[in-house]
Amino acid sequence: MNAPTAANPVLELKDLRKSFGETKIIRGVDLAVQRGERHALIGPNGAGKSTLFNLISGHYTPTSGEILLNGRSIAGMQPHVINRQGLSRSFQITNLFPRLSVAENLRISVMGRHGYRFTMFRPVASLKAVAAEVDQYLEKLRLTRRRNDLVSDLAYSEQRALEIGMSLATNPEILLLDEPTAGMSREETGYMVELIRSVTEGKTLLVVEHDMSVVFTLCDQISVLVYGEVIATGAPQAVRSNAKVQEAYLGEEVAS
Amino acid sequence: MKTRNLIFVLAGFATLAIMPLFLTPNLMNAVIKMLIAALFALSFTLAMGQAGMLSFGHAAYYGLGAFAALHLMRAVEQKLFGFPTPLIPLAGAGVGFCFGLLFGWFATQRTGVYFSMVTLALAELLFTLAPTWNSVFGGESGISTIRGTSWGLSFGPDIHVYYLTLGWFVISAWCMWAFTRTPLGQLALALRDNEHRVRFLGFNTHVARTLIFAISCMFTGVAGALLAIANEATNYTIFAAGASANVVLQTFIGGAGTFFGPALGAAAMTFFARVTSDLTRSWLLYQGLIFALVMLFVPNGIGGLISEHSKKLKKGGWTALVGPYALCLVVGLLLVTGLVFMVESTHILLSDSYIAKTRSTPPGESVPFSMLGIVFHPKSVTTWAIPAVLLAVGAGLLPVARKLTETAWLRATGTEGSKA
Repeated sequence: MNAPTAANPVLELKDLRKSFGETKIIRGVDLAVQRGERHALIGPNGAGKSTLFNLISGHYTPTSGEILLNGRSIAGMQPHVINRQGLSRSFQITNLFPRLSVAENLRISVMGRHGYRFTMFRPVASLKAVAAEVDQYLEKLRLTRRRNDLVSDLAYSEQRALEIGMSLATNPEILLLDEPTAGMSREETGYMVELIRSVTEGKTLLVVEHDMSVVFTLCDQISVLVYGEVIATGAPQAVRSNAKVQEAYLGEEVAS
Repeated sequence: MKTRNLIFVLAGFATLAIMPLFLTPNLMNAVIKMLIAALFALSFTLAMGQAGMLSFGHAAYYGLGAFAALHLMRAVEQKLFGFPTPLIPLAGAGVGFCFGLLFGWFATQRTGVYFSMVTLALAELLFTLAPTWNSVFGGESGISTIRGTSWGLSFGPDIHVYYLTLGWFVISAWCMWAFTRTPLGQLALALRDNEHRVRFLGFNTHVARTLIFAISCMFTGVAGALLAIANEATNYTIFAAGASANVVLQTFIGGAGTFFGPALGAAAMTFFARVTSDLTRSWLLYQGLIFALVMLFVPNGIGGLISEHSKKLKKGGWTALVGPYALCLVVGLLLVTGLVFMVESTHILLSDSYIAKTRSTPPGESVPFSMLGIVFHPKSVTTWAIPAVLLAVGAGLLPVARKLTETAWLRATGTEGSKA
């Protein structure tokens, strides 16, 4: 049943469609993300990138089509179920627990994965394995110094780093990053790309990103979404030179 | 910091433990009601302050806890089986938890205002049904029973009830505090901050919120059971929307953002209601005013005020605050006295009995009225000069007091630029 070219896709979308009333936003998307790949999803505003992320992560239910995670259908499942199957996402607008400390934020992510979801007869501080893992993530995210600070007191770039860290701390097989460098200065963006590279070492990534320099440095595969359809997929060089893509989206930026 | 809090809590409990030695029977009864209200507010805060679920229908679980306890006590009274009186609140806990699960399952499908509306509707449902279900809720008159003897105690005198209530209060408060330290308690805080994100971290938020709501209802049930034990009776009015609203107001006055603030707010407001409801028929107006003023000027409530002081004051910084706070107290008293004078005299002048008196006297003649044993003439200038002067002086001093307090606060905390 599997296509011979698709060796072992972690995530596969098959003829995925989503309409809101009469409006067709996603119009038959086919996409495969292979294990270990860093896959970028680009496209002009309104192409349906956010909708696609919301479909994959379970926020929306597809109108039709399939979403396969490791060959098993996750279409229409609840977000928490999808997360436990090994798919985690970050958000474009920072989406944290502002009145908890940095370490407490990460602990929520970690403790869930350790199976302490509704535990109420032992103190959370006694969970040594959870605490050790939180420390590791703090170190990786370079936030150890700020572990006891409230999230609302963090600088924007630190919040963005934590945003990605939260998704990462549920230890997914595939991580969806929604515009990880949105709203950042050039300098912060450079720092962020480098941070993402190091913390997601060996992970499969699907990234929505507007900044082309980020896409070309971070990712090894690119899919271009235009009007709810993938018009091209391939290595950065191949996509850059694809005539359809140039016409639809990249324009001058690639030509120059 | 930590040990200081612990010392305060232990000192508070020690005071409560020896208090009965000094209390008149009437005051002892008042303290019992304050403890029950405090427990109710703490349990409400478990859902509200920690998990962000503003329930407008917590009277449902309070009432169910009370009725459950009464039925158990009646069964013991009728010698159907034996059950120790000190453990009666377990019935309230069980029933509170079960109905919390059942009602919570529906209510927590929604968040925010919609959640609040569903909880309100479910409580109103009980309020409407209760008087018609005679065998369960005893019709309009309710049900009553007496406390049984157990463990060598008769539970007749109030002092037995006092220690029973205090014991359950301490145990429940400790449990709820410990709950905040568990994974589920931490998850509650995360749900309060951002329910949406929790869903994408692998947690079934509906189950989590139902469970937290039910735990809150369980302790509410304990509070209701304690009330039933203290009063030995209850009726359907315990389900009234006013009772649900009361705990909301008390919690906000106490400070929903702190753990112990709501207990202080509930105790203070219960005491206030008890004292003022005997003195004046306008006590609900005063209660409403207090709520409005707290929300306007101290939105974090009593608890927020205390924690602000304990966190930010420098060592010995309070000395700078004594003077300004005393001035604030004087200003407050001036304003309150003036306002109370106005309200009470208006209340008398508009009452039926006063109007009847004016009809029986010739027109143009002044009919005196008496307040606090003093006779006033409504047409005399001096009568109205009293509140006018009180209010004017108070209002005139208010900006001065605020300014002084603000500078004193800056000195006391050693922070320039921030506001008190």
